[in-house]
Amino acid sequence: MSVPYLGFGMGLRTCYFEQILTEQPAVDWFEIISENYFVSGGKPWHYLSQIKEQYPIVMHGVSMSIGSTDALNFDYLKQLKNTIERVNPMWVSDHICFSALGEFNSHDLLPMPYTEEALDHLTQRISQVQDYLERPMIFENVSSYLTYKQSHMTEWEFLTQLHKQTGCQFLLDINNVYVSARNHGFSAMEYLNALPKQSIAQIHLAGHQDCESHIIDTHDQPVCDAVWSLFSQFSKQLPAISTMIERDDNFPPLSALLSELEQAKALTKAHWG
Amino acid sequence: MGELAKLQDAFVAMLHTGSQELIHEIEDQAPLSAMQRLEIYQNAYKIRLRGVLEQDHETLGFYLGDELFDLMLFQYIAHYPSQDRSLRQFGERLPAFLKETAPFSEHGILAEIAEFERILLRAFDSADAARLSWPELQAIDMSQWPNMILVLHPSVHFFVCDYASVESWQALKEKKIPPEADIDGSHYWLIAREVTLRTGFHPLAPLQWRCMQSIAQGMPFSMVCQSVIGEFDDEQAGSMFVIGVLQLGIQQGWFSDVHLLHGQSVSKALT
Repeated sequence: MSVPYLGFGMGLRTCYFEQILTEQPAVDWFEIISENYFVSGGKPWHYLSQIKEQYPIVMHGVSMSIGSTDALNFDYLKQLKNTIERVNPMWVSDHICFSALGEFNSHDLLPMPYTEEALDHLTQRISQVQDYLERPMIFENVSSYLTYKQSHMTEWEFLTQLHKQTGCQFLLDINNVYVSARNHGFSAMEYLNALPKQSIAQIHLAGHQDCESHIIDTHDQPVCDAVWSLFSQFSKQLPAISTMIERDDNFPPLSALLSELEQAKALTKAHWG
Repeated sequence: MGELAKLQDAFVAMLHTGSQELIHEIEDQAPLSAMQRLEIYQNAYKIRLRGVLEQDHETLGFYLGDELFDLMLFQYIAHYPSQDRSLRQFGERLPAFLKETAPFSEHGILAEIAEFERILLRAFDSADAARLSWPELQAIDMSQWPNMILVLHPSVHFFVCDYASVESWQALKEKKIPPEADIDGSHYWLIAREVTLRTGFHPLAPLQWRCMQSIAQGMPFSMVCQSVIGEFDDEQAGSMFVIGVLQLGIQQGWFSDVHLLHGQSVSKALT
């Protein structure tokens, strides 16, 4: 699968709906949280239907739980498929993780162990989901706070194998790489360098809470200098990749996010044009 | 069961019941212990669910006060783990929990306030539909009016209270002191999303309620009139009352369409 380059985008959040419609900011595309539109109507759809007339939209899910060992949730997938048909997004993504098991939902992105069993499980599930949705999916690396004893490969080796086995591409969250690198003591740059470049379809940039002994991936702060630096260095190795600022809490004025987008553009201008 | 399934079972048990089994599967990595690493996930789980209830049931929180609201959050999260992929549904069982669980069950108004807040959320997310207008109704020949069946807008919800729950909710929203919880008889409310997308609620008198219930049951207009006409001295007064309810409903956007008995959608036929 090859996704088109859309330029520099932003997460579409309710607090910016009105401003986006009235001011039509210089954002190349917006990413929506898929599950926020699993409702019949009302405000979310009222605004999205107008915004999608003016901007390309991509869909980003948080609840597929692709790594769960229970049966695929076809009620969820049906809702996702219906929403895809209604939105007509440029592409659809979710996370490499598990979040639900049986009737229990953690509403978190829980890490997978990096094992052959997990690889085979994900390979099978990704294929099933893509068949059902009749379209390829993109999957994001999650941030994590623990390492399983049973993991016998690194996260980047795991992702590389997953790409080889499934052909699926990744939404690379550089902040998540940085958060996990700090929490586990590996080199974020080593991680990025090791990823197959053709596997990257989209990039997320976000902020976090630094608790010194560890970092929590909160998406409620500006992108930090270290993440900007990783993005700047790594982007030189890549063709132009659709990149966005992901903010989910402690929302600043829209202008602050637009400034972050300008920074991303400035850092890549020399090599991405 | 494979290793992956066992690991995921242990993770879920850790979040749900605080089981320590998972700790044996986690590497100790300085500066944090394996336990501290698990606690990051446990805390995130609780904070996330608390945040949803605090947002969806903010006014119930004002009514309860911090201490009781915290107790409610703690008990509800422990006993009613989220079963839906969407956090939007997490509080759906809160009214039942409050009705059944002491000390909350001793105050019936609490479950009612929670239910009212759930209905507001449902109305907010309901499907979109057209709003029926007077010109569309007037285009129907008067001889056909007894046969017309009004269709409610999908966001219309009904709510009967045995306590001053809506009045208390409204007072707390306006930072005023809520009235006494006990009331004489039931209070009837209609909740719907307005044309402006704001969710509104409207008190209904018992006879207005009866009319709207008849409409909700799909009765033709003649039977809607019949359902209340006995309460009036003459038939014309009864009919005028129902017309008044119809006018109110049109003005508030409570109807999305009208059909003729065994016939097609009138509004669609007109457009």
